[in-house]
Amino acid sequence: MNQINFTRYHIKTKSAPDIEKWPTRFNVQVGKIELAMFLIKEVLHYGPFKHQVILSRPCIYGVFSGPIGGFAPRPQHCVGCLRCTTEFPEYITVSPNPDRRKLGDSYFTSNFVDTLSYEVEEGSIPVKGAGYRGKFGGEGWDGMWTDMSEIVRPTRDGIHGREFISTSIDIGYRPNFLTFDDAGQPVGATPNVVSIPLPMLFDVASPSMANAELWKSAALAMNEIGSLAVIPLDGVIQHGLHGDHVVPLVNAGDEEKLASLPSPRLIQLNGWNEALYDFLSQKFPDTLISLRLPFSTSEELLEYAKKGIHVFHFFADFHGRNPEDQFVLELIRETHAVFVKAGIREEVTLLGSGGMIAAEHMPKAILCGLDAIALDTPLVVALQGKFDGECADREKSRFTFPKKLNSKWGKQRLMNLAASWRDQLLEISGAMGIRETRRMRGEMGRAMLMSTLEAEAFDGVVGYERA
Amino acid sequence: MSAHKTQEQLIVEKHIKTIHAGYNKRADGFFPPSPAMGDFRWTADLIISTYYQAEHGHPPENGLEYRVGKSEGGFDVLDINFLPEDQWTPEEVEIDLSIPLNKRGVGQEIEIPIPIYGGGMSYGSISEQVMQARAKAAQKWKTFFSTGEGGYPSSLVPYKDHIITQVATGMFGVREETIKHARIVEFKYAQGAKPGLGGHLLGDKATSTVAELRESVPWVSLFSPFPFHSVYSVEDHRKHVDWIKTTNPTALVSVKVSTPTDVDMVAVGSYYAGANIVHLDGSYGGTGAAPEIAKKNIAMPIEFAVPKVHKYLASENIRDEVTVMASGGVRTAYDIAKIIALGADGVVMGTSELVALGCTRCSNCERGRGCTYGLTTTDPLLSQFVEPDWGAERISKLYASFALQLKDILRKLGLKNIRELRGRKDLLRYIGNNAKRV
Repeated sequence: MNQINFTRYHIKTKSAPDIEKWPTRFNVQVGKIELAMFLIKEVLHYGPFKHQVILSRPCIYGVFSGPIGGFAPRPQHCVGCLRCTTEFPEYITVSPNPDRRKLGDSYFTSNFVDTLSYEVEEGSIPVKGAGYRGKFGGEGWDGMWTDMSEIVRPTRDGIHGREFISTSIDIGYRPNFLTFDDAGQPVGATPNVVSIPLPMLFDVASPSMANAELWKSAALAMNEIGSLAVIPLDGVIQHGLHGDHVVPLVNAGDEEKLASLPSPRLIQLNGWNEALYDFLSQKFPDTLISLRLPFSTSEELLEYAKKGIHVFHFFADFHGRNPEDQFVLELIRETHAVFVKAGIREEVTLLGSGGMIAAEHMPKAILCGLDAIALDTPLVVALQGKFDGECADREKSRFTFPKKLNSKWGKQRLMNLAASWRDQLLEISGAMGIRETRRMRGEMGRAMLMSTLEAEAFDGVVGYERA
Repeated sequence: MSAHKTQEQLIVEKHIKTIHAGYNKRADGFFPPSPAMGDFRWTADLIISTYYQAEHGHPPENGLEYRVGKSEGGFDVLDINFLPEDQWTPEEVEIDLSIPLNKRGVGQEIEIPIPIYGGGMSYGSISEQVMQARAKAAQKWKTFFSTGEGGYPSSLVPYKDHIITQVATGMFGVREETIKHARIVEFKYAQGAKPGLGGHLLGDKATSTVAELRESVPWVSLFSPFPFHSVYSVEDHRKHVDWIKTTNPTALVSVKVSTPTDVDMVAVGSYYAGANIVHLDGSYGGTGAAPEIAKKNIAMPIEFAVPKVHKYLASENIRDEVTVMASGGVRTAYDIAKIIALGADGVVMGTSELVALGCTRCSNCERGRGCTYGLTTTDPLLSQFVEPDWGAERISKLYASFALQLKDILRKLGLKNIRELRGRKDLLRYIGNNAKRV
């Protein structure tokens, strides 16, 4: 009997609490004199033997459960239910903590930070009640919804871990067709790909993200996850991070440094440089060479493809914008279209970074045309990095990491992040009835854009003009 | 008196008194809204004004914004395009808010006097006391509320003429007698809060009583699979309808679906499979626990789905043979008027009812013991905070306020009947994000 070696892909999650105390979500203020007076009134009303009644507190989360109750509230337990201030508005105030609101920046807002913090701590999907709380739609990712099906499922085994949806993708070259000689042997180009189990890479190669513990965390996590981390060559060499799950980013002038580097599966060229490309092709003949570029619709992309580049890693700034202020959603669609029009989209792999900071951005970016996303600032937040002002610029942004940051903890936080986002990708895929992430790529028919829907729905409403 | 009561009874009494008083202190303007209250969709003003309406039965006159939120889209960028005063319907003319739920011309005729009924919230996701409050309010207003998928507590049987029995994918609590009780049976294919994802009752809420009703194991999480595993097509759905009709030949059939790209086709298919009511549940509503990613990102908002469906049903010449009910983010009387003008016949409400009962929309429904106000919980102590009679009165008064406002809106549009408003997009005005309301 043949042994079945199949094992379902799984990322090992484990609770990884914060290593640095972050501001609480809420401030809780209690008027102590009023509280004391209230307690005296309660004693007089109920008598001294009804202490359970007198001390019963308007909180089930433990904010007033310290040794002296409401006289020393514990805001770290506050979930914002507001029951205390509903019952006793005279002397209890609950307010959002302004220090918490300062986390992140104008793009990576504190709401995104909150969600990501939960994901990296628990490794699970954030679940809450009471419906949606945010803005209706808006620009960028918020102006896009994904489709669902009332009756179609990827499989009929049910969801919640029992149905099989593949999230793996291939990075590399896949010819549109194979050619065979008279003996039936393939001739000419054959597929050359690296398969990764989820459409997510880590991109810690920007100068502003230069941090040894961040690099190590990313490399260690990807070693467990089975995907790839893009790390500057200097970092790879200095910290001995080379391996199957590390993609060294190389610049012109790095040729000597590459002398002792073991052959990587994938290497990344930081901007087009023909001489360096030729050097890498000769030095690492079995290695896939990717090209890192700003998002572009230039015809030059097709020239690079002709010269042998089949993996493109495009980037926008950390806020998802290019210098012309176009947002990454449109940039992805336009870049994808360049290869579709040329008839070679199946032969290349498109990776993208910048402005993808929430789990839903991954399927949305794939629907727009990416094969996989390469995460940047979410990794900073995962490791409790703080933003110093606005952090859009890949070179000049400044992040401050906790003093206790270490790669063992960092690895688990990043594994939790990947697990949570993958599970959420499964939810979205399941709802759409798509059983393979590969089949999601470029499927804009399964996306709904606010601009289109609103124009159709509000047609005939007085004063509405299609934008 | 207190000497005869247990400490637990005294604790419940104490907190009921202070919680109920607290709602009114904010609603009546003695204290401003808490700075931590509200969000873009349900602003603090909307929450507090709902408390006010639930207490007084009419909209607030103390400056609270009770009509729109600040979501910068959908309902919140639409206004009613009122006519000049000389074109208003005269005061002496009675305005009719009733809508029929069966337009097929065969079978039981059911008309509800307001274009509203209560949406499905299962026993387990909410307390039995809240279900009773909803049932009593539905009875008082001669409308309905849906059981959701969790069974039919026996305490609801006296209200059976106003209860919709829901049949959903897990079939929890679905029994022959609960189908026979119902004047309307609702098939839930999907729900707006988590389109395409099925239901999930957390283990902490599956108490012995809940489990008994659902015929499951106590304290074990319950998943409603998605979708119906016996339905692959409209024809399969038709078989479901036949099954219900065999068990209860007079029952009307409602089909609750979410809002995918092809929601218009889904609605037409549902009609041809025999549905009397097509219930569209948009993606921004929902009361139960749901993955955050599902709430915002999967399926389209109800404001976009309704006109699409209305238009397609009209083009198929079947618009007047099916009742379209809309839910998923309908918060206020103004939202109701707007969604009807966009093409619905009526609305299904859930969150607004819970807010009337004191929900602050803190989103902690699933956490620990459940809702601290006794709404979305099965905790024996917390669930006592909602007394059914008190709750029924709150929901009834909210309905009264909505009815009052709807009549006022219709009068100012020169209409006499809510049915005349359906699909009248020309009576809406786009105000964008910054335009002033009239």
